[in-house]
Amino acid sequence: MTESTSTSAPRRQRAMPFAHTAGGIAAIGVKELRGRMRGRRAFIILTIYLLLLAGFALMVETLVERSFSTGFGGASAMASSVIGQSIFAAILLLMTLQVVFLAPSSAAGAISLEREKQTLELLIATPISSVAIVVGKLLSTLVYVFLLIAASIPLMAVVFVYGGVAPEDVLRGYIVLLVTALGLGSFGLFCSSLVKRTTAATAVTIFGVLAMTIGTAFVLIFWTAMGTFDNNGNRVGGPFGMRAPAVLGYVNPFIAQADVLCGTESSFGGFWCSGVQALVPSDQGVIFTNGGVVGPVPVAEPAIDGRKGVRFDGNNQVINDVAPAQPFGAERDAVWTKSVVTWLILSIVFLGLSVQSVSPTRRWRLRRGRRGPGSPTT
Amino acid sequence: MTEIVRTEGLVKRYDNTLAVAGVDLRVDAGEIFGLVGPNGAGKTTTLRILATLLLPSAGTAEIAGMSVTRNPDQVRRVIGFMPDAFGVYDDMKVWEYLDFFARCYGIAPAGRRRMIGDLLELVDLAHKRDSYVQTLSRGMQQRLCLAHALVHDPQVLLLDEPASGLDPRARVELRELLRELRSLGKTILISSHILPELEELCTSVAIVDRGQVLAQGRVADIERRLRFGAVLRVRLLAEGEALEAARATFAADPDVATAVLLDDGTIELGFRGDDTATARLLAQSVASGMPIVSFARAASDLEELFLQVTSPDREPLAATEAVA
Repeated sequence: MTESTSTSAPRRQRAMPFAHTAGGIAAIGVKELRGRMRGRRAFIILTIYLLLLAGFALMVETLVERSFSTGFGGASAMASSVIGQSIFAAILLLMTLQVVFLAPSSAAGAISLEREKQTLELLIATPISSVAIVVGKLLSTLVYVFLLIAASIPLMAVVFVYGGVAPEDVLRGYIVLLVTALGLGSFGLFCSSLVKRTTAATAVTIFGVLAMTIGTAFVLIFWTAMGTFDNNGNRVGGPFGMRAPAVLGYVNPFIAQADVLCGTESSFGGFWCSGVQALVPSDQGVIFTNGGVVGPVPVAEPAIDGRKGVRFDGNNQVINDVAPAQPFGAERDAVWTKSVVTWLILSIVFLGLSVQSVSPTRRWRLRRGRRGPGSPTT
Repeated sequence: MTEIVRTEGLVKRYDNTLAVAGVDLRVDAGEIFGLVGPNGAGKTTTLRILATLLLPSAGTAEIAGMSVTRNPDQVRRVIGFMPDAFGVYDDMKVWEYLDFFARCYGIAPAGRRRMIGDLLELVDLAHKRDSYVQTLSRGMQQRLCLAHALVHDPQVLLLDEPASGLDPRARVELRELLRELRSLGKTILISSHILPELEELCTSVAIVDRGQVLAQGRVADIERRLRFGAVLRVRLLAEGEALEAARATFAADPDVATAVLLDDGTIELGFRGDDTATARLLAQSVASGMPIVSFARAASDLEELFLQVTSPDREPLAATEAVA
C-alpha cells in the first residue's frame, strides 16, 4: 500500500495522451484569448498598426522613387523593381523588428504573471500537464503576433505591383518571421518561467534579445575586422585563431532576413548579399591571391583542401589548376534556412526548460535563496 | 469508516530547514479534519504535499489509496485544492473562470454548462455569473475559489486557511458551505488558526507544531487523553471578602486545579472535571448560596488545548499518546 521511501524524485510520469495535452492547450488558449481579444481594443490596435505600416510603405516608395532621375541621362530602367525590392525590404525588416521585440516581451509575463497573481498553483493542481501549460501559454501569446503578421500579407502584396520580388521571396521572409516569433517567444517564456518577477523577466528577455541581435552583429563585425589574410590572400582566423562561429549569424533574425533579401538581388555584390557574406563566416567564396578583397562571394562548388572557392591571380584571372571557374553570383538560401533550423531547435530547448521550470515536481532546480514553489511556506 | 487520506513519516526538508518532521495523518472519508498549528508549524507544507505541489523529502502520502508522488495526475482528479494565498484571473467573468478550470479537468461542454450553474448556486454566486471576477468582494472570491476546487466533483477538499481575510459574516457563510459540502459526502482537510471556528466545524483535528503532529483525533478524545480540563469563568454578585471567600470555596473543590480572582471581579477556575463535574460544581455553588451571575467556559477547548500542547515549556508527549 505504501512505498518504501520517496526521498528520490518520483519516476517521470508517463507521457499523457496527446488528446489530453491538446485539451489542456485549448483550455489555456481559450482562457488567454478571452482576456486578450475581448472588446474592440485588439482590433483597433490592429487597424492602427496596418495604417502605420501602409504609411511607412508609401513613404519608402516615395523616397526611392525620388532617388531616380528621370530626365536626360537618367537611369530609371530598373526603377520599378528597385522600388518593389525596397518596399519589401523596408516592410520585412520593420516587421522583423516588431516580432523581435513584441514576441519575447509579451511572452515574458506569461508564467511570471501567473506566479505574481498566485494563480499558477491553482493551475498546476489540476491534471493539466506542464507541457500543456507552457505550449498553451506560448501559442496564446503568439496568436496576436501571428495575427499582426498575417494582417500584413495583403499589404506586402503591393510589392508584386512593382515587381523585383518573387512570391517565394515573400514566402521565405514570412517563414523567417514566424519561426523567429516562435523562437524568441519561447525564449521570453523560458525567462518568464525562470525569473519570478515579470519586470525582471522582461528585462532579462530584452537583454537577451539585444544580445542576439545587436550583440551578435557586433561580435561578427568585430571578429571579421580582427581577422587577417595569409600570403595567398586566404582569410585566417580572428580572435582565438578561429573564424567567428557561424551560429552567431544564425541566431540573428536580421541577418536571416538580409539573406532573404539577398535572394531578390539580381547579381553578386548587392547590398544585402555583401552584408550577409561579410558577416557570416563561410567556407565558400572567391579568394584573391593579391589579398586585396575582403568580401568573399559564395559559390556552390567545388571543395579544394577542405575549402570551397575559386582562386584568382593578381590580374583577376582564374587559376584553373586550383579550382574550376565558377559563375559569379550569390549562393541563395545559405543563411536563413540554417537560421530557421537553429531557432526551431532553440524553441524546443527553451520550451523543454520552461516545462521543467513550471513543473512542481521537477527533478532539478537551481539553488537560489528565493521563494519558489519548492520553498517553505508555513 | 474508510481511510481516505494517510501520511506516514512525512518529511519535507529545505536546505537548513525542517518544515515537516515526520507527520502521520489518518483521515476517514466524510470527515472535516482540521490541521491546527502556529505559523510555521508545517500545515501548509503538508497540504501542498497532499496537493501534489511539493515532493516530500521522505515518507509517504496517499489519497484514496493513491500515492501523491507516484500518481500525481490521478490524485489531482480526486482532490480540490484551495491555497491560502490565491489569486483570481481579473479579466475573466465568473462563469468563464469556472469554465476554464472545468476545461482543465477535461469536462465535456454539456456537463460544464450544467455544473457551472449548480456550483454557482451552491456557493451563492449565481447572481454574479456574468460579473468580472475583479468586481467580486474578497468573500465572494473566496467562495469562487472554493467553487473552482469543486468543478470535477472531488472526493477530498484541501483548504488552506480558507477563512483568512474574511469578515465575520463571510466566515459564517463559509462555515455553512463547508457543512453542506460534508453533507454531500466530501472529505475536507482544513488548516486554520481560527480555532473556535475549527472546533465548531471539525469532526477531528491534528495539532501540529514544529513539523510534528502533537495530538490527533476528536477534540473530546484528545482532551480526555491529555487529561486537560477547561477554564471556567464565574461572575458573582458580590464584592470584597465575599468574593475572596467564594474563590477559596472553589479552590477547595477536588476538580479545581487553580482558582484566581481577576481584577474585574471574575473568578477563573482551572477545571479538571468533565461536563458532569461541571454541572455538580455549579449545583453545589448555587446550593451554598453563592449569588452567581454567570458560569461559563472561558474559551474554546480547542484553543486551550492548542495553547497547552504547543506551549514552549510543555512536556514532550509520548509518540503513542500524540498520535494514538
